Amino acid sequence: MKNHLLLATVLMLVATSSFGQKFFTKSGKIDFDATSPASPEKIEGVNRTATCVVDTKTGAIQFAVLMKGFAFERALMEEHFNENYVESHKFPKAEFKGSIINNETINYAKDGTYSVTVKGKLTIHGETKEVETPGKLTVQGGKINANASFSILLSDYKVSIPGLVADKVSKTAKLIISCSLEPLKS
Amino acid sequence: MKRKKIILYVLLSVLVIGGAVGIYIYKEYNRAHKDTAGLKPDFTVAANDLLKEFENNEQASNKKYWDKVLSVEGMVKDVTRDDRGFYSVILGDTSSLSSVRCSIDSIHGNEAASVKRGHIVSVKGICSGYNADDMLGSDIILVRSVIGQKK
Repeated sequence: MKNHLLLATVLMLVATSSFGQKFFTKSGKIDFDATSPASPEKIEGVNRTATCVVDTKTGAIQFAVLMKGFAFERALMEEHFNENYVESHKFPKAEFKGSIINNETINYAKDGTYSVTVKGKLTIHGETKEVETPGKLTVQGGKINANASFSILLSDYKVSIPGLVADKVSKTAKLIISCSLEPLKS
Repeated sequence: MKRKKIILYVLLSVLVIGGAVGIYIYKEYNRAHKDTAGLKPDFTVAANDLLKEFENNEQASNKKYWDKVLSVEGMVKDVTRDDRGFYSVILGDTSSLSSVRCSIDSIHGNEAASVKRGHIVSVKGICSGYNADDMLGSDIILVRSVIGQKK
C-alpha cells in the first residue's frame, strides 16, 4: 500500500514536470503613450511592475498590471491619468488573458527570434475587449524576451477624455510591452 | 474723472487676478512629484503582517492602504536592477512566494545599490495595490520608494 502511494506520487511528479515549462516575470515593462499630433508634449507613462506568465506547452499568456504603478514625468499628468481617465481607485488592475495562436511554430528549446500572434481578452477600466496583436518572442539561453506593441481605442474601455483637452490627447493609446521571462521553478 | 478711476482699478485687479491664475497654472503644470523621502508615512507596518492583511481581505486592505505612504519593514529577499538602471527591493519571507515589491525612485537608486539580500530594511513607498497570484505568489507593490534605515 505504501509503495503504491509512493508510486502514485512519483508518477504525479513526473507528469507535472513534463507538463511543459512556464516562464514568468514580475518586472515586465509596459509603456503607455497617448500623445496625439496636437499634443503640446508627450503623454507617456511607464510601468515596470507588470506580471507576465507564459505556458510554453499550451501557449497561454497572461498579464496583470496595477494602474497606479504607471509613472509619468509630470505629477499633474499622473494624477489626471489615475483620477480622471482610468479611475484607478475604482479599477486598480488591468489584465490580459489570452494565448499565442501560433505556439506550435515556436521551438522553445532553440535560441532564436520568433514572430507570434497573441489573441485574448484585455481588461482595462473594468471593460473587457478582445484584442489581437503581433509580437516577438526571443528565446536565448533558457530565457524568453517577449515584445509587442499595439494600440487600443480608449473609448472601447470607456475612458473618456474631457472636451477641453480632447484634441490634445490621442483617442488611441499605444501600449509597448517588453518582458524578460525566466523559467518558473516548481 | 471718478469713472476713469474705477475703470483703472477694475483693469488693475483683472490684471492681478489673471497674473495670479497664470502663475498658479504654470506652477501646477510643472509641478514635480513629491520626493517620498520627505513624506510622513501614513502607516508603518511589517512586510509579513501587511501581506497577511491583504491575503485575508484584499478589498478592505486596498481601501485602507491604496495610494497611501507606507513604511514597510522586512527582510530583503532580492534586489534587482533592470537594463535601464531601475532598482527594485523585494521584501518578505524567503519561505513564501509572496512579497512586498518596492520600485525604488530613480533619484534614490544609489541608496538601493548598497542593500543586500538578508538585510532587514524599512522601505517607504506609495502603495499601488495587490496582485494576487496562487502560482507565482502574491505581491503588494510600492512605487516611488526610498530606502529608510538599515538594521
